[in-house]
Amino acid sequence: MTAQPATAEHPTDTALIAAWRDGDEQAAAALVARHARALARFLSGAGAPEAELDDLVQETFIRAFRSVDRFRGQCQFRTWLMTIGGNVLKDFGRKSSRRQVMPLDDAVRDVGGDPHEHAEATEAEALIVEGLKKLPRMQREVFLLRAQQGLEYEEIAAALATSPGAARVHYHHAVRRLKEIIA
Amino acid sequence: MNEEKLIQAAKQLGASAAERLDVEATARKVLERLREQPAPRTIWTRTMWLRIAAAVVLVVGGVFAVARVTPERGSGAHHPDLIADELRDLSTDDLRTLLTSFDQIIDESVVPDSTADLPELDTQALRELLKEG
Repeated sequence: MTAQPATAEHPTDTALIAAWRDGDEQAAAALVARHARALARFLSGAGAPEAELDDLVQETFIRAFRSVDRFRGQCQFRTWLMTIGGNVLKDFGRKSSRRQVMPLDDAVRDVGGDPHEHAEATEAEALIVEGLKKLPRMQREVFLLRAQQGLEYEEIAAALATSPGAARVHYHHAVRRLKEIIA
Repeated sequence: MNEEKLIQAAKQLGASAAERLDVEATARKVLERLREQPAPRTIWTRTMWLRIAAAVVLVVGGVFAVARVTPERGSGAHHPDLIADELRDLSTDDLRTLLTSFDQIIDESVVPDSTADLPELDTQALRELLKEG
């Protein structure tokens, strides 16, 4: 996630949030367009079934827009969005008796290249998803924010209301446990 | 699987599912749902104000009740005019609560049979009863 220079065509998240607060619906649409895929990846990695992914992304944005006054810029908007997504997914898990991760369909993951390498990658991803389901929520989210989203510990800590040191510990526990589970 | 492979695989998690997401349609649905479903903010604010108001009433009523049952320390503390002013600020429920607390500490002769009918008394009647007490 790289910060783009703000221009009239590419306003910052902060500017879009301010515009949304002033009632500009297009600002909200622009924020969805900007962050929906990253959020979907996070939710999917955290165990969201693909069939529910669109609904979960929508619900996350709705909750975010309605509680945007609570966003004080403590972290990036996208990171904050993912923490809300974590709550949405937790609520979904409570309501749903099945807590099945998305099926990792080889066909849809085939994006070209060596089929053998892709098969290995797909299998590895499936194992990670299964492993992540067995982790405590904090470890799972820290792992995804760090490994999948590439965030710094300071950013993760700010979003999850913990310290960078604690986030680092959660991450290392997650990696160790995933390696044990996958081995 | 070593850590490097683990991280590499983690970076790909959900990538294809995210690619299949129709972002424009999602944005459109989000806006529709925001328009259709009323924001809970107003309700939340109203609820909070009601809670705050209830807390203030309880505190004021409690302080007043304690002041009434505590032995007199100063000559001006229970001046009738002051009490009357304070009573005017209390609601019917506050006055009922206050009178109920009196039941436990005041002689039966001070609050006679009317205690049984307290819920049926109106604000004015409760004030009069308190003044008599």
